[in-house]
Amino acid sequence: MVASRLAFIKEVFRPPVTEQYPYKPLAVPEDFRGKPVIDPEKCVGCGACVNACPPGALSLHDDGDYRVLRLFLGRCIFCGRCQDVCPVGAVRLTRKFELASTSRDDLVQEVRLILEKCGLCGRPIATRREVALVEEKLPPEQRWLVHVCPECRALVSARVIGYVRGCSR
Amino acid sequence: MKCYEIVSRYGLSDAICLNDRLALIRAKDVVEASEKLLSLGPRYSTCIGIDYRPINRSYLVHHVLALDKDGLYIVLETQTHDPEPVVKSITNIYPAANWHEREVMDMLGIKFDGHPEPYRLILPDDWPDNVYPLRKDYPYDKKPLELTEVLEHPEPRFYAASVGGDTDASRAEIPLGPYHPALHEPEYYELIIEGERIVEARYRGFFVHRGMEKLAESRLTVNQVPFLAERICGICGYTHATAYCQAVEEAAGIKVPARAEYIRSILLEIERLHSHLLWFGVAFHILGFDTGFMATWRLREKIMDLAELLTGNRKTYGLNLVGGVRRDIDEAKAHAVEEALGFIEEKFKKLIEKIIGMSEIIARMKNIGILTREDAKKLGAVGPHARASGMDIDVRRDHPYAAYKYVDVKVPVMDGCDVLSRILVRYEETIESIRLIRVFLQEMPKGGLMAEYNDIPELRIGIGATEAPRGEDIHYVMTGRENKIYRWRPRAPSYMNLATVPLMLVGEKLANAPIIIASIDPCFSCTDHVVVIDRSSGRRIPLEKALRWN
Repeated sequence: MVASRLAFIKEVFRPPVTEQYPYKPLAVPEDFRGKPVIDPEKCVGCGACVNACPPGALSLHDDGDYRVLRLFLGRCIFCGRCQDVCPVGAVRLTRKFELASTSRDDLVQEVRLILEKCGLCGRPIATRREVALVEEKLPPEQRWLVHVCPECRALVSARVIGYVRGCSR
Repeated sequence: MKCYEIVSRYGLSDAICLNDRLALIRAKDVVEASEKLLSLGPRYSTCIGIDYRPINRSYLVHHVLALDKDGLYIVLETQTHDPEPVVKSITNIYPAANWHEREVMDMLGIKFDGHPEPYRLILPDDWPDNVYPLRKDYPYDKKPLELTEVLEHPEPRFYAASVGGDTDASRAEIPLGPYHPALHEPEYYELIIEGERIVEARYRGFFVHRGMEKLAESRLTVNQVPFLAERICGICGYTHATAYCQAVEEAAGIKVPARAEYIRSILLEIERLHSHLLWFGVAFHILGFDTGFMATWRLREKIMDLAELLTGNRKTYGLNLVGGVRRDIDEAKAHAVEEALGFIEEKFKKLIEKIIGMSEIIARMKNIGILTREDAKKLGAVGPHARASGMDIDVRRDHPYAAYKYVDVKVPVMDGCDVLSRILVRYEETIESIRLIRVFLQEMPKGGLMAEYNDIPELRIGIGATEAPRGEDIHYVMTGRENKIYRWRPRAPSYMNLATVPLMLVGEKLANAPIIIASIDPCFSCTDHVVVIDRSSGRRIPLEKALRWN
C-alpha cells in the first residue's frame, strides 16, 4: 500500500517528458546538418557547389568586375552536397537551425570575388582566385596561358604553331 | 544466371534477361503475352509510359509484373509508332492495372484500347484536353494558358449493392475529407450511408501532384534526384531515395560496396520503426485512445533522435547517392543505437501488450474493415496490409536488395483480414526491425562507402524495389544522356492499397470509417504525384460540385 502510494506520488511529481524548447536551448548532435556558411576568404568561385546543389539554392552570376556566389537559405534543403564537393573546403554546414526571420535578406549570403579579365581581349575568364589556383598547378613556362581566355588562347596557339611550322600568317 | 534459369523453366522463349532479377519481354500482342504470363501467378506492380519519340519516333508502355516466388521482375513492353498512340489495355486481365493505365493516358496521351473506365484520373478537372505534361515536347516550366470548364457531375451509379431500405430518402451522403480524412493530408472520401451503415464509398485522390517526374527528367542530374525522391514522402522518404538509387545502379551496372548496403539497410529499418510507431499512435488517436498515442509517440521520438545522430537530420536523411552512402556509422554511434534499441524494445513490448489486452480497443478492431485475400490479390495490395490478409509477400525476402541479401528476414503473415490483424502484423514487424538493426550492426563489414563509376550509360532500364513501411515501393528508371534521367516513375505502396479502401468501407458502421481508412497506413502524398476517381462510375467529380451536394 505504502509502496504503491509512493509510486503514485513519484509519478505525479515527475517532470514532463516534453523538452522545454524554446525556453531552453535544444541540443543537436555533433554531425547535425544545419545552416551552410561560405567562407569568403577561401571561396574561389569555381561553381562546383552550384552544379551539385539539388534545389538550386546556390547560384553564380557576374556583376561588373565581380563574380557573385549567392546562397539563398529559403531554397536550401541542408543536404550538405556543397560541403562535399567544394575543392577548397570553403563551404561548411553549421549546427544552426533557428533561421526564422522577418527579413528575406537574412536568408541570403553573397560572396563577391574579383574577376580576372583576358589579357588580350578583356573578356572575363574566371575569378582571380580560381585563376591563381590553376596557375599554381602548371609548369612556369605555361603559366601565362591562364591569363588569356580560351578563345584567345586558341588563336595565340595557332599563331605560335604557324610560326614554328613556317607559315606566312 | 538466375534469370535465364527461371525464364527457361517457364518456357518464356521471347524474354530477354537484362540482369539477375529483371527480364524484358517485347510483346507483339500485349494481351496474349499477359494472358500467357497469368498462369505463373504474377502480381501486377506498375506501368510506365515513355515518350520515346526523340529516340525512334514511338511511344513505349512498360508493364511491370512481379514473380515473388522467383524474385524476378518482368517488364512487358509494347510499342506504338502511331502519332495518335493507342495500345491494348490489360486491365481486364490484371484489375490492378486500372489506375496505372489511366495515369499513362492522362500524362502521356497514350490511349488504352479496351479499358473499362477510360476517364481522367491524375490531371485536374480544368486541365485542357490534349495537353500531356509528361511528353518530351512539353517544357517543364510551362503552365497551360487556357483552363477549360469543369465537367458537370455525372449521375452517380452505385457500385456496391445496398442492403435493405433502398429508397433514396433513407440515404445520406457524408463527405470525409478532403482535408483530414485520417492523416493530415488532402484526400476525399464520399460515403453513402443508410442509418449508421455505409452502403457505398467513393474515393477521390491525387490532389497533391507535384510534377516530380517532369522535374527530375528535365532539370536534375542523376545525383540530384535522390534528394528529390526523398521528398516524395514525409514519412518514408529514405526508402524512395534508396529505391531510386538502386534503379540507377541496376541500369548502369554499378556495384555498391557492402558496407554501404548495410548502412542503407540500417537506416531503412530505423525508418520503418519510426513509421510504424507513428502509425500506432495515429491509429490509437483515431480510436479515441490518446494515452496510447502519447506513449507511442514518446518512444518514436527516441528513433527520431537516432536518425538525427546517424544522418544529421531527423527525417530527410539525405545520405544516398547513386553508388553508395555519404556517411559512415562509427563505433560510438553504433553503441548509441544499440542502447536506444534496448530501451525502445522493452517499453514498446510492454505498451502494446497492455493495449492488446484492452477489450474495448480490440472490439473496435476485430472483424472491422475486412479485405479478403482474393480481393487483396486482385487489386494488388502490398505490405503489412496485404500480409494481414494472408498474402505472403515481402520485397526484403522475395526480391532481396541492400543487406537483406545476407540475412534472413522473418515475415509475419496473418489471415484475420481485419484491422486487428493489421495492428498485429505491424507489431511483429516492429520487433523484427529491431532485431534486424542489431544483426546489421554486428555483421557490418569494413570497407568503402561509395562505388567508383564514370558516366552513366544511356537508355538502360533499371528497377529499384524496396519494402517501404507500407509495402512495395518501386522505382523505374531509364537513363538518359549526360548523366540525366530519361524517364523516372516512382510508384508508392499506397497507390495499390488505396484502391482497396472503398471495398473495406462498404457494409461497415460510419464510426469505423476513420480507423478503416487509417488501417492501411495511407500515405496520400506519396501516391499523388493528384485528381479524381469515382469508384462507382469511374468518372471524375468536380470537387466544388461534390462538396455542394446535400
